[in-house]
Amino acid sequence: MAGNGAIEGDGGKGVKDMGVERIKSIKGIPPEENVLPGTPACAGCGGLLALRHCMKALGQKIVIVNAAGCFTLLTIYPYTPFKNSWLYTAMACAPAGAQGIRDALDILIKKGRLDPDEDLKVVVLTGDGAAYDMSLSSTSGAINRNLDFYYICYDNEAYGNTGVQWSGATPFASKTGTTPPGMIRPMGAELVKKDLFAIWGSHKPPYLATISPAHPVDLINKFKKAEQYNGPKLFIALSPCPPGWGIDTSYTVKLAKLAVDTGVWALKEAVSGDLKHTVVPKRFKPVEEYLQVQGRFAHLFKPVRQEAALNKIQEGVNEYWNRHKLLL
Amino acid sequence: MLTGNAAAAWGVRLAEVDYIPIYPITPQTEIIETLAGWISNGVMDSRFVTMDSEHSMLTAAGSASATGARAFTATSSQGLLYGFEMLYAVAGWRVPLVMVNVSRGLSSPITLEPDHNDVLAARDTGFLQIHCETCQEVLDSILMAYRLAEDERVLLPIFVNLDGFYLSFTREPVEVPDVEQVRNFLPLYQPKHAFFKASQPMAQSAAVLGGLAYSYFKYQMHMASQNALAVYKEVCDEFETGFGRNYDTIEGYMLDDADYVLVMTNSFSTLGKAAVNAARERGLKAGLLRLRLLRPFPVTDLKAAVTGKKAVAVIDQNISIGKGGILHSEIASCLYHEKHRPLLLSFIAGLGGKNISPDEFEFIINKMVTGADTEDAGTAQLLYTDTEWQEMGRLKGMAGKG
Amino acid sequence: MYRVRFHGRGGQGARVASKVLGTAAFLDGYYAQDFPLYGAERRGAPVAASTRISEDPIMERGVIPEPDIVIVMDETLLQDPLTMPLSGLKPGGIVLINTTHSPAEAKAVYKITAQVITLDITKIGLDMLGMPILSTLAGGVAARIVGLSEDSLKAAVEKVLSEIITDRKLLDKNVAAALYCFNAITPAKIELKTIDTNKKKSTVISLPFEPAEISSPAINATGNTPLRMTGNWRVFRPAWNYEACTRCMICVARCPDGCILVNEDGYPYTDYDNCKGCLICVGECPTNTLGKVMEVHAKKVTG
Repeated sequence: MAGNGAIEGDGGKGVKDMGVERIKSIKGIPPEENVLPGTPACAGCGGLLALRHCMKALGQKIVIVNAAGCFTLLTIYPYTPFKNSWLYTAMACAPAGAQGIRDALDILIKKGRLDPDEDLKVVVLTGDGAAYDMSLSSTSGAINRNLDFYYICYDNEAYGNTGVQWSGATPFASKTGTTPPGMIRPMGAELVKKDLFAIWGSHKPPYLATISPAHPVDLINKFKKAEQYNGPKLFIALSPCPPGWGIDTSYTVKLAKLAVDTGVWALKEAVSGDLKHTVVPKRFKPVEEYLQVQGRFAHLFKPVRQEAALNKIQEGVNEYWNRHKLLL
Repeated sequence: MLTGNAAAAWGVRLAEVDYIPIYPITPQTEIIETLAGWISNGVMDSRFVTMDSEHSMLTAAGSASATGARAFTATSSQGLLYGFEMLYAVAGWRVPLVMVNVSRGLSSPITLEPDHNDVLAARDTGFLQIHCETCQEVLDSILMAYRLAEDERVLLPIFVNLDGFYLSFTREPVEVPDVEQVRNFLPLYQPKHAFFKASQPMAQSAAVLGGLAYSYFKYQMHMASQNALAVYKEVCDEFETGFGRNYDTIEGYMLDDADYVLVMTNSFSTLGKAAVNAARERGLKAGLLRLRLLRPFPVTDLKAAVTGKKAVAVIDQNISIGKGGILHSEIASCLYHEKHRPLLLSFIAGLGGKNISPDEFEFIINKMVTGADTEDAGTAQLLYTDTEWQEMGRLKGMAGKG
Repeated sequence: MYRVRFHGRGGQGARVASKVLGTAAFLDGYYAQDFPLYGAERRGAPVAASTRISEDPIMERGVIPEPDIVIVMDETLLQDPLTMPLSGLKPGGIVLINTTHSPAEAKAVYKITAQVITLDITKIGLDMLGMPILSTLAGGVAARIVGLSEDSLKAAVEKVLSEIITDRKLLDKNVAAALYCFNAITPAKIELKTIDTNKKKSTVISLPFEPAEISSPAINATGNTPLRMTGNWRVFRPAWNYEACTRCMICVARCPDGCILVNEDGYPYTDYDNCKGCLICVGECPTNTLGKVMEVHAKKVTG
């Protein structure tokens, strides 16, 4: 399925049957567990919860290409939680690994050396450090070539595997190991989070989505829809991280819900550039409700309330929803 | 008549490679352009993809190989270093990727012409290394490389190295073997250890914690590389039977009765052979040993070839800053325990493609003769002539360094 | 030389405890060395840290296979077959256990032959700090066992904590808690027996070559992480009271580790072998079906 960068292959963005069977409630979530327990992921890992649902949607006939990050350590010799195939590459190049595998499978099938029944969907699994920063080059290349693959980013808004440092996904005013609030920079992180959805969108892939571990029905239906499209399919999962966000392990789902309910995390999808918000709160909660329960934002409230920083965060959220004419 | 680059492309075509992810870099680009043309015209049934960097290129090539396809890629100097992380990774996957490196000096200062610091930087990665002197050898080595790398006793990736410009862009007669004959020599790649298919899930390249497992995997790679020495001899014999050309791990030129031996690699070995001829005319028993297989290092063959000689001069077209010639160090360690080890001299030459003139070869051979008489190897000599010094003075003046 | 090994759970403070002990020893004029042992495991998972203290320069590095003193910061680790915190403990060595048991009870329950000291550090931590972070407390007891001075311990807690936290009040509370623990125990005399002559020697072998089919770092098994039994991470366990359960499946959908299974009648239940005890399910349960029970107590109830 190599696209315009390839000399061979049609590169077409074929669309299959448009009829999509959606699930209506969590009772419709497929019961099969495709990521088994016993992983070294932290207790209460939001990324793992998101991945568990993604894997239910994808099934077992897949090969995961893993970038360096927390989930590298899901598969530590001699253990793997997966029932499917897996390859660890390096931090910068998981999409390139996906390219190699997709192309090789296509060639082997075409040359009759692999039964078409043996084919696999190719899935990149990456944290935000790789997705927002180091692997942008290889990701851009893969999207541009219209590589037929799924791209799942568990976005915990920091380099989590190294013990929580600032990444391009870290939000403004977040405390991390490398953005400690201090006398000179009381707000912690000075920069705003990159917009990975827009970076991807500029490449015009067939399917883009944001997802949440607290909204598994929305998540699974997005995979069902995405399945129809050949080409790159993005899924960014905002993934509450107990050690990184300074929250109790039991708060993961609460935080994921709050991110959506306050408008911090917009659940949306874009089919061939056609943007739609899939979960819009009837009434947005104040962003402070989301911030004040997290250790990484505690310095915005104590010892002195940092009004300017808090306003800037709320205004950023308002600006987004105003732009999309959805702020009620 | 083919250039070294075209000969490399022919090797890939004859090996009926499945997958070629690429990224352009001088002086390698002609290889991939040639392949692109053939694939576009349908004379070659391979998939060809331009990646976004050498790092991605190596990842895609290694991943395709880990899926079970026969893959090829090529690079040079800066590109090799840009993808360097993935050399160790791909070797650790134990996949038989064949990769051409067209040698070129490393930045800074950035340059175009060849020396071997690029490929020698990769000597500890797990990739095997074959270094070529002629365009014919480039083509033949690619065929041998697939046989060697895909052997179940080995299963490691491999470099075929050729010098930029002096081989890559140099045309000379090359015999192109018949594809049916190549098929007999090089059967289809059907891996039992690394593939992706729905019916047999496999988690490749798992993380390892603890030195116990890590050491095991690394030691196994080393033993597989050591196995490659014996496998290479088999491949070499079969290749000679099929195609009539012999390529041993080392090549001797007037070596058997020689007292004074030059050790070289790659295309400038031709200059060394000419220098041997000149020395023989002067009545000196000179000879040349060209190292062809650098990883695994052919310790036994090398020892057998040079023990008992009066003097050996290693001409390194590389420099390990702060130590000296890389091959000199490696050869010295091989010979340390030999009772009749020769005097071992070290010369650094040909950096960034700088010529090695007949005068310099004469200097080297004279050093061996006097060294053998006085039993003094001296220190490593950085070869640079008075005319070059004068010319450099002129350049410095123009650069305002008066 | 004293070799001290701390065993706790990620987030409990074993690493900081080893630093407090190392710093206190240094301040008392000893040669000291401390280090954590990193694994892939995260918050809640068993971790270890070590301190070496000596009158002479320390010529050892790396893990301590045979400690003189073991500090067990989490009692549940004693029954964990993968952690085995007492492994290698020298005959005559000392183990301090964070428990409500008396030393005699602990020796009986856990079948320990070494000298045992017990102290309920968790309670002290909750009472004096308001949280179960036990770093300075464990450092305090260890400092007493090896015979360091109270002044050095105090200075060490100040020094180590001031690099981590800015809250002065919390720091002062930690100093007080460390000193409290220091004085709360009566250390036994460490009476190490001489070298064990029965110890089996290792033999260096020639490693055999194995083909890549065996010797590549690929895993042909699938879904085998449940063998790792991450159930030993739990401090609290989710406990079920099915009277209120409506089989809504919310808990099943919320478990990151997929540790809530469904029985034939459609009722969910916990896979305690692997449940890490994050307690998301307890918070998410819309009825009162799920509650939490401290693991040590749950073990006592269930045996």
